[in-house]
Amino acid sequence: MTFPVVITIAVAGDPVDDQLTLADAAVVADTAQQAGVSALRLLDQPVGTPPPGPSGGAGRIVDPTVAVAYLAGRQGRIGYLVDVATTHQAPYNTARRVLSIDRATDGQAGIVLRAGAGDEVSDAVTAAPGPGDPAARWSDYAEVLTRLWESFPRSALIGDQDAAVVADHTAIRAIDHVGEFYRVAGPLDGPSSRQGRPVLAVTDVAIVGWDRAAALADVILVESEEAPTAAEALANAIERVGRHRREITLIGRLPVDARREANAEQLAERLAQFVAAHGLDGLELLPVGGVEAVLSVLASVVTVLAEPPGITLRDSLGVPEPIGQLVSTGTRA
Amino acid sequence: MTASDRKLHLNVNILNAGVFGGSWRFPGTDPLASYGIEHYTSIAAKAEQAKLDAVFLADGPVLDPSIRHRTGNNLEPTTVLARIAAQTERIGLIATLSSSYNDPVEVARRLGDLDLISGGRFGWNVVTTAGSVAARNFGRTGEPDHGLRYRRAASFVEQVVATWTARQPVSAQGRPVIVQAGGSTDGKRLAARVGEVIFSAEQDLDKARAFRTELRDGAQAYGRHPDEIVVLPGLSTVLGSTDAEARERRELLDEVLPDAYARGRLSGQLGISLDGLPDHEPIPLELLPDPDVAGGSQTFYRVVRDIIVREQPTLRQLLKKLSGGGGHRIVVGTPEQVADDIERWFRGGAADGFNVMPDVLPSGFDDFADQVVPVLQRRGLFRTEYEGTTLRDHLGLGLPGLAGVTERAPLEAAV
Repeated sequence: MTFPVVITIAVAGDPVDDQLTLADAAVVADTAQQAGVSALRLLDQPVGTPPPGPSGGAGRIVDPTVAVAYLAGRQGRIGYLVDVATTHQAPYNTARRVLSIDRATDGQAGIVLRAGAGDEVSDAVTAAPGPGDPAARWSDYAEVLTRLWESFPRSALIGDQDAAVVADHTAIRAIDHVGEFYRVAGPLDGPSSRQGRPVLAVTDVAIVGWDRAAALADVILVESEEAPTAAEALANAIERVGRHRREITLIGRLPVDARREANAEQLAERLAQFVAAHGLDGLELLPVGGVEAVLSVLASVVTVLAEPPGITLRDSLGVPEPIGQLVSTGTRA
Repeated sequence: MTASDRKLHLNVNILNAGVFGGSWRFPGTDPLASYGIEHYTSIAAKAEQAKLDAVFLADGPVLDPSIRHRTGNNLEPTTVLARIAAQTERIGLIATLSSSYNDPVEVARRLGDLDLISGGRFGWNVVTTAGSVAARNFGRTGEPDHGLRYRRAASFVEQVVATWTARQPVSAQGRPVIVQAGGSTDGKRLAARVGEVIFSAEQDLDKARAFRTELRDGAQAYGRHPDEIVVLPGLSTVLGSTDAEARERRELLDEVLPDAYARGRLSGQLGISLDGLPDHEPIPLELLPDPDVAGGSQTFYRVVRDIIVREQPTLRQLLKKLSGGGGHRIVVGTPEQVADDIERWFRGGAADGFNVMPDVLPSGFDDFADQVVPVLQRRGLFRTEYEGTTLRDHLGLGLPGLAGVTERAPLEAAV
């Protein structure tokens, strides 16, 4: 039995203990690509330790959009999932950065949109000042992202030198989003990517709730403790929001420490069992114990379990290309 | 440093398909190359081979409404530069980011990290972002007032720089270089206070010299050393191996310029409609508002207004002169002639170097790197090897102290 595998790491600017440097991460990306990993996910917080203060210091994590854009310039044949929180980032800017990475990787990128607070630019003009409800904010934000990513279809870009037409401007549409937290006109400045739009993943189901996650996400990442009930919760939510189960990939996360595992074969078996027992579509591994431990997990276990990736991240994770179905989810004011 | 070993600084502005409005239609050019990442990474690699100081990416969080007729900037610069950082060793990396439409906490972190992972090669071009089209992407109905945009920019930059100085670890150059481009009264004040590289738009050598002197004096008035400011006017280049060939290329650039685009852009820059104005008469001066009260980008408004006042061109001549490029000075000639022009401005105290804006990309930059740079090197005006690794090294900028950055007012929202 094989399934899509996501490997999750964090990159530190000034690593302490077992933290990875950017150079380590580049080695991990190469090895992960060879092992058949679908995506490397970059966290915006240290693995396993509480986040340090805002001004940085040892162990501070490098901005994941910067790290992923860099890594994709080194290893372009693997997918990337980048953690970005709503906090401090206006959605138009996030949409641009993630789509830019997606286009630079020819359809190999996605975002794990983390629930959070607002940003200084949007807060100044929002109808709902203050942090508000992070779940409602997440939906509002996610809707802006998905609609912006579809606002400039790839097919609108023509480049007809004789007719002096760069793009069919009638096919590029403003989104005129008016939400509780965000008002965004659009369209985005660049065309959609090879995979239609970047993958949108959610991991804070405990905060966001199943219905909001199921309404908007392509991928739902759950903790091992959430895994036993996830498939049923998702099935129920999907019915309520009117989507299809095949449109969403459910992935369970497990930390692994290669230093504590004597037998790779048994570990692989246990991981496969975890996926099968809970009706999951894929596996997210959070290797702990430094770069050697990560590489060891990739070499010994992931090569056995990983389903060979496709051309785009959507292919690899088994999520269909969007067809503009996410027009509105009821969060518009 | 003695005057004789003062060296030029050269950046290449990778303005999508090139600075001319018809660049994407130029014969032999892939019309949509600027929508692919390779366009940017390969030009950056070429710039590094030519030992340039930096690549420069202009940007605005907006789809330019002229998309039907010309290519636009379409990839977010920090993601492009992080990729270039992975594929190069020395070339400096300058990105444009808006102070009106970013959160200073996020920008300080992201740009600081880009500086760190690139080995100290990053510079931030601070812009306030004119126009209501961009404003509407951030919950606003119109652009913030010019004065407010610049007050916010000043305190925004101070807050970001203060965050960088408190950061650990610091990059190889200490902190990113602050680049600034405003030519307005508000913009010049900001430049004198915090700018380290000033990207200007100047048509005339005497005016450019006066502008550079004003900035250096202004910096001194803020307690800075005048050499802490590097002034780089934009320079559009049209090259040919003979004078006739260069002129031919210039003519061809006019032929491929989409007329609707040229008119739309000029109308936008002047803030007036061109409908009904005859092609063969000058634009009436009474239609042009005073620069300090004009909305939008005051820099380019001033440049175009000055041309109209000074030269009284007919509308048709003006459209041709600007060629959809918007107001940066255009030099047309052989590599020797262009090098002569660069040397004259440099030695004349009008520029510390240039932000080079090739007519068509990549061909115009290939010609500049292969033909003009060697001439400048032979004349001893430009480096033949990098002497350091960071952008501050290339620019000859140290890591100045932060007078005036510690005492700051609260940030004003750009509403």
